[in-house]
Amino acid sequence: MSRLRRPAVIALAMAAAMLAAGCGNAAPAAQRSVSRAAPPGPPSLDTSLVTAAGTWAVALMGGSAAQHNNFWQLFARPAGSPDWKLVTPPGVPDNGGLVVADAGGRSLITGFRPSQYLTYTPLTATRDGGQAWSSASPLDAVLANAPDALAAAPGRGHLLALLTDGTAKMAAPGSATWSTLASRRSLAATPPGRRCGLQNLTAAAFTPSGVPLLAGACGHPGTAGIFAARNGTWQAAGPALPATLARQNITVLRLTRTANRIMVLLAAGTGPAASLLAAWTSGSGSHWSLSPPFSLNGAKLTSASFGPGGAAAIMLTGNRAQTIAGTGATWRTLPAPPPGTATLAPGPAGGFDALAVHRTRLTIWQLAPGSRTWATTQTINVPIQFGSSG
Amino acid sequence: MPGMNSGLNISDPTVVAAFKAALLHQGLIALLIFAVLGLAWVTVRAWLPAAAQDGAGTVPAGTPGPALAEPAWRQLLRIGFGLLWIFDGILQAQPKMAIGLPSQVIEPTAASSPSWVQHVVNWAGTTWSYHPMQAGASAVWIQVGIGIWMLAASRGAWSRLAGLVSVGWGLVVWAFGESFGGIFAPGLTWLFGAPGAVLIYCVAGALIALPERTWRTARLGRLTLAGMGLFLAGMAVLQVWPGRGFWQGRLGHAPGTLTDMIQSMAQTPQPRFLSSWVNGFGSFTAAHGFAVNLFAVAALAVTGVVFLSGRPRLIRPAVIAFTVLCLADWVLIEDIGFFGGLGTDPNSMVPMALLAIAGYLALARAPVAAAAAAEPASTGASAPASAGAAAAGWRDRVRPAAVRQSLAAASIQSVASAGAVGLIILGAAPMAAAQASPVADTILAQAINGTSAPLNYPAPAFALTDQHGRPVTLAGLRGKVVLLTFLDPVCSSDCPLIAQEFRQAGQLLSADSARVELVAINYNPLYTQLAYTRAFDRQEHLDGMPNWLYLTGPRTRLQQIWRNYALPMQILPAGSMIGHGDYAFVIDQAGHMRRELNFDPGPATTSTKSSFAAELTDLARQLLGRS
Repeated sequence: MSRLRRPAVIALAMAAAMLAAGCGNAAPAAQRSVSRAAPPGPPSLDTSLVTAAGTWAVALMGGSAAQHNNFWQLFARPAGSPDWKLVTPPGVPDNGGLVVADAGGRSLITGFRPSQYLTYTPLTATRDGGQAWSSASPLDAVLANAPDALAAAPGRGHLLALLTDGTAKMAAPGSATWSTLASRRSLAATPPGRRCGLQNLTAAAFTPSGVPLLAGACGHPGTAGIFAARNGTWQAAGPALPATLARQNITVLRLTRTANRIMVLLAAGTGPAASLLAAWTSGSGSHWSLSPPFSLNGAKLTSASFGPGGAAAIMLTGNRAQTIAGTGATWRTLPAPPPGTATLAPGPAGGFDALAVHRTRLTIWQLAPGSRTWATTQTINVPIQFGSSG
Repeated sequence: MPGMNSGLNISDPTVVAAFKAALLHQGLIALLIFAVLGLAWVTVRAWLPAAAQDGAGTVPAGTPGPALAEPAWRQLLRIGFGLLWIFDGILQAQPKMAIGLPSQVIEPTAASSPSWVQHVVNWAGTTWSYHPMQAGASAVWIQVGIGIWMLAASRGAWSRLAGLVSVGWGLVVWAFGESFGGIFAPGLTWLFGAPGAVLIYCVAGALIALPERTWRTARLGRLTLAGMGLFLAGMAVLQVWPGRGFWQGRLGHAPGTLTDMIQSMAQTPQPRFLSSWVNGFGSFTAAHGFAVNLFAVAALAVTGVVFLSGRPRLIRPAVIAFTVLCLADWVLIEDIGFFGGLGTDPNSMVPMALLAIAGYLALARAPVAAAAAAEPASTGASAPASAGAAAAGWRDRVRPAAVRQSLAAASIQSVASAGAVGLIILGAAPMAAAQASPVADTILAQAINGTSAPLNYPAPAFALTDQHGRPVTLAGLRGKVVLLTFLDPVCSSDCPLIAQEFRQAGQLLSADSARVELVAINYNPLYTQLAYTRAFDRQEHLDGMPNWLYLTGPRTRLQQIWRNYALPMQILPAGSMIGHGDYAFVIDQAGHMRRELNFDPGPATTSTKSSFAAELTDLARQLLGRS
């Protein structure tokens, strides 16, 4: 037995080490679920907006399982025309996302969210309703994945961009240089940012008078996180919320300028109890009008579109659509939109257009004013080049 | 594990052909080594007949001293593991090994191990994927060499050294090839090869390397079996451990741990009868998982306890039963181990059984052998040394007379052993040289795009603006080698990769960078501003590179240059990038086009990018007269 002692001890130690190494469960431990629901984020880049040139719509097309084979398309319906046309700016792969901003007049500026190995954001602009595009100086960073990540000051040429890292950058007209306007952290450290308990930034815009606005989600309840850069300081610029929302966390889902007003969509609360509100302000942002809350009942906002007169139309999960006509109006349920509807847009003669996507085919469905039925009016086959950009 | 996978098809014809050619060439060199050694041996014996006569009465060189007959256990280990090493070496010569081993064998093995293991293994896998020819061939020749050496050298220091080399190489394979046998991964089980087949080779090598004085008693056999007994008992504990999934044939609708392992083995390409056996046992395990695991636990525990007991009368039937169990596991669970074109060895059960039998032989027969003779005086003698020389000091051994006598007295086994060492060097030396190079072999780039033919005609001129706003012409670059490509600054796939390859080439050319200009011309008609070429440079970290020029200009001028270089360009609709190809051109110091390369970056792994950079560097250096 004594002969065995020393090697046996060594072997025992080795066996113990192996046991210790091998005794882990083959299956990983189940992750504990997070009990607290995260605040809702901004909707997808599918959207539409109305400018002096006409109505614009952005939709993702391709229907491919491979992300790099799905491309974002830009459609335009010139003012006074009943027909949509494909006006996607050429020359840049837009499978990472397309963000558009009204640059005033007939101009529109488009930012291409970079994909794959591209890490900066090319920009291009049109001044003729999408007939011709000319490249603008790029943004040396990645544009945030939000429909209001890019904004242009009407008539001034300033650009404002919200980045994925929560930084907001601004460029002077025609300049290739972007300077940092704020970051989430710096904004959260300002007095209005502290009152809001700013968690993240979700949208950027200019007021009609050219004041930069940033918006996001507040950690402190009852506060809408909208901030204006005036006279070198950041000021709270959001609406005062009613007492019924005093215990709700507020997230700005959309922030956009339409003609001479600013319009926002706010989510109040989280999870199944969350509700949606619209708010409008004219020029200065000193006075806001709030819509009644609309209960989401667990649905999520997938697309939001804005029309003249402060109208908004939203798409929700479950193929549901809601609209609100403007200040003082209430939310109205639209007839179930056609399958594949990516976004809604104001119709040419009132009513609504639904842009429905099936792979490479876009079908325009129209809901005439007062009608309860969607009717097909146009089909566009988009020549997507599968395999071209990835 | 970023460097592990070259991304190429494991049956890529270019790589397979090059691997076969490398093996053929090295095989011829191996034959030459043995022929030269054999000829030298015959010649020396003819020239030195007297010495040969003297030596004729002695034991072969390297097996000095009055013989204590090599015990059966050692013969079994030496011959058994020698044959296994040779077989493993032959398996390494399978065509898919050069590309497939890192990505299909090493990486999956390491996937479930902790990150530090993956980090260690990734280093080796990256080295292999950078140099697939050299690494693949080195594994063949080193393993065949070790096997021949173990078979040929039966006695003395030469034989013990073979055991030590087996341990050393085995540890390399165990750590880097088997991810330490998976001992740090969850799901460790003896049934599937724990603690790694090659670790058993190492144990056998260590036993072979022991001095002859350890052969005399049964102690070695007892220790060997005790070690195995402890190991098997430990494995039984792991097998019985709750929560590891071995007790269930099925976990709900999913297969249990053991069933899943067996069923995945059955997917390996192999003879039909074998897969049907394995599938059948998988189904049996799914239905009777508890019983199968109970049997495995009992078998391991009982065998372990009996081996620990050290009693030959108990151990003999246990070894027989254990051997049967190993063979059954080998066929029904480990699925023989070497089918599918990427099998590296016959897995753990054959070596495990060999070790157990050898342990029993050492325990049961050693005392008889020990009585035969005393230990020789010179177990540490070198190969060519005769018995007499071995008894002397090293100065005596290197005296001409002693050397002559040793050479003349050398046996055919000694010649074979020396040849085996030559084989190991033949495999290890090119790999060591390749490993010292930080860049991948150009065979990877050639596998993707083929080779290019030499050219010699004036390169089309261009006059454009660089990223700093300065005018640049091709004529102005005379006197330098120009590595030229065409890049779209807003392209999201190939262009950034090509830029990275050019940047790597620039770094590799460090000493020659003043004589080589890396030039890209804008390949997008719509994004021609300097702001875009500059943004691209920043993205690819090219903005600090002194010999990098990214040229752009008016759309019409760019289009003329693309036509002059016969490059296609198409503005594609609906959100696609510009349609263009991937090209590189090598222009000499006189402005003459010397190469046109298809430059599709392929899978764009670290190894292929490095390979393209190496290709550019080689071509530039050829024009500089540096290679």
